[in-house]
Amino acid sequence: MSAPVVETRSLAKAYGLAPVLREVQLRLLAGTGAFIVGGNGAGKSTLLRILAGLEAPSAGHALVFGQDTRRLAARYRRRIGLMAHQSFLYPNLTARENLEFYGELYSLADPRASAHQWLGRVGLADAADIRVRAFSRGMEQRLSAARAMLAEPALLLLDEPFASLDHDGAEIVAALIRGAIERGACVLATTHGIPEIDGVELAVFEISRGRLMQHARKEEVRRGGRIRSLLGR
Amino acid sequence: MNNPTIRNWLGFSTLALMLASLFMVFDYVPPDAEMGIAQLIFYFHVPLAWVAFASFGLVAIAGIFYLWLGDQLWDDLGYAAAETGMVFCTLMIVAGSIWAKPIWGTWWTWDSRLTMTFILWLMYGGYLMLRASADDTPQVARFGAVIGIVAALDVPIVIVSVRMWRTIHPAVLVTKQGTHGLEDPRMIWTLMVCLAAFTALWAWLLMLRFTQLRTRSRMGRLSSRIAFATAAASDPK
Amino acid sequence: MSGFAAVLRKDLRLELRSGESTLALLALSMLVLVVLVFALGAARVRSVDAAAGALWVAMVFAGMLGANRALLAERDNGAIRGLLLSPLDPSTLYAAKLCAALIFMAVAEVGAVILMVLFFNLDFDASMARLAPILALGAVGFSALATLLSAITGRTRGGDMLLPILAVPIFVPALIAGVKASAAALAGAPFESMGDWLKIMIAFDVLFVSAGYLLFEHVVGGD
Repeated sequence: MSAPVVETRSLAKAYGLAPVLREVQLRLLAGTGAFIVGGNGAGKSTLLRILAGLEAPSAGHALVFGQDTRRLAARYRRRIGLMAHQSFLYPNLTARENLEFYGELYSLADPRASAHQWLGRVGLADAADIRVRAFSRGMEQRLSAARAMLAEPALLLLDEPFASLDHDGAEIVAALIRGAIERGACVLATTHGIPEIDGVELAVFEISRGRLMQHARKEEVRRGGRIRSLLGR
Repeated sequence: MNNPTIRNWLGFSTLALMLASLFMVFDYVPPDAEMGIAQLIFYFHVPLAWVAFASFGLVAIAGIFYLWLGDQLWDDLGYAAAETGMVFCTLMIVAGSIWAKPIWGTWWTWDSRLTMTFILWLMYGGYLMLRASADDTPQVARFGAVIGIVAALDVPIVIVSVRMWRTIHPAVLVTKQGTHGLEDPRMIWTLMVCLAAFTALWAWLLMLRFTQLRTRSRMGRLSSRIAFATAAASDPK
Repeated sequence: MSGFAAVLRKDLRLELRSGESTLALLALSMLVLVVLVFALGAARVRSVDAAAGALWVAMVFAGMLGANRALLAERDNGAIRGLLLSPLDPSTLYAAKLCAALIFMAVAEVGAVILMVLFFNLDFDASMARLAPILALGAVGFSALATLLSAITGRTRGGDMLLPILAVPIFVPALIAGVKASAAALAGAPFESMGDWLKIMIAFDVLFVSAGYLLFEHVVGGD
């Protein structure tokens, strides 16, 4: 049995006196996909940032490839792709230049070719030489997905990957997620609604009151979410 | 470091030493033949300078240990040392200035040691402003550590450069000829007692402030544990 | 090494595209010189001491702006996080940002020197060649310091105010040495006569480039 790509042990995070994550136990294997649902401020993004090593947990451990995320060496950082709420893109560079820049940072064999290929995959080939400043939110989101997946990471962390995407855009990103899982990557994504990606078995978790809970049946989450919204939570 | 007995003992020693130093400065020691009564400030000025520089050294050492070990203790120590050092550094400058008025005929002059002290004062003032402008997070603690280290690295270059720039400060303690300005053994005794008194005062204040900051850090940790426990208690079963 | 080149190339490309930083630096240098000409009065405008001092005041202000600018680009869209997450070493990032800040500063300094000669009625002659290494040493030291400190002040409340408060006192030794050496160079003194001042500047540069290189990871990473 292979070692888990992501493993957290009693992970907790507090901002000041507000506990955001409590006792989070999560194990994800290569070639699997998981989605985390939960309301705004539930701590979904915090969990992803901790796994990416951008924030330190208040207590417990977060391990990625068996390494503590507090001090991830470059060769492990290289294998993580994070698509965060912020796009990490330079507004004054064109889409192509942005991808080529990140391709160079990740020492890709041919950044130019990779950038070109990924622009095609996210349907931005026509907009390749337009500055990101002029992009719509949806285009920027697609480019951000391409940026995160550029180096073919073994762990893909996606924060609201479908936000502000139209139907076509969502299809493209869903296909990319499926592709990543099929080539053996581990994908962990957050979302508001219940995700459906054809042909992929997705684990669904929910963060509620700082705790991560697994849901075997997606309908349950949906119903649970509705009840809570009726109660005004 | 947090033992109240040691702290109280140190507090009473400070009191005793301070009273002794006051007696020695105002009654025991003969005033300097040339400078007269103004020279007595020297017995406070030199110990103030010593503890101010010791504090700033401590800020840098605590900074190195904080970056190395990541223990909050070192940040609390560095912060306490910076605050204490700032107080003594300010007092040293004021005392020196009062001495300089009758002796040099001016409150302030851009002499090398004065300049160096003033630059140090500015640097650690910047450190404290940074700490005051932000919450006490590990991030700000790291910022403080980096500034403490960088400032200490700068001190030797500051000393060399301002010395080349200009100097009129008296070399009181040991001159190149191996003589010092304190002919009377009573002067040396007074200086020693004053050094001990101010060192004790410094150690006592530093300890008080450090204990306070330690308590604050511990309270922060406890509050967050209480917050977690409260959240856990209200979990639906 | 490829990361260093990539970041530097990206920064220069962004700068060539907008020209914002260098223009702002040039404008600020010019304003500082103008203010100092008025402040010092016509009588002292022909003294090399005044000119050297004015030049260094302009340089300190431009340097602070330059270092801020070099990190500013990374704050849009949180790009700094993208960089920290990438395999790029924080020290390499520091080196690249230092070089970018240095290049912006160098452009501003060339402009400032030309303006200084015009405003202070000096001559374009051999003294300019002697001035160049002095200014270069000063620019390296200041960029090294300001790049490290702006990473700190950029992440605190009221940070832009804090940068000069932290940077200027620490820069004092290089400032003293730089002003003295520049005044000597403008007065036509031979290079050997300012050896000690140059040594101070070199020591400052070595110390702060190394300190920044080693400490940068502690100010950009985490939380």
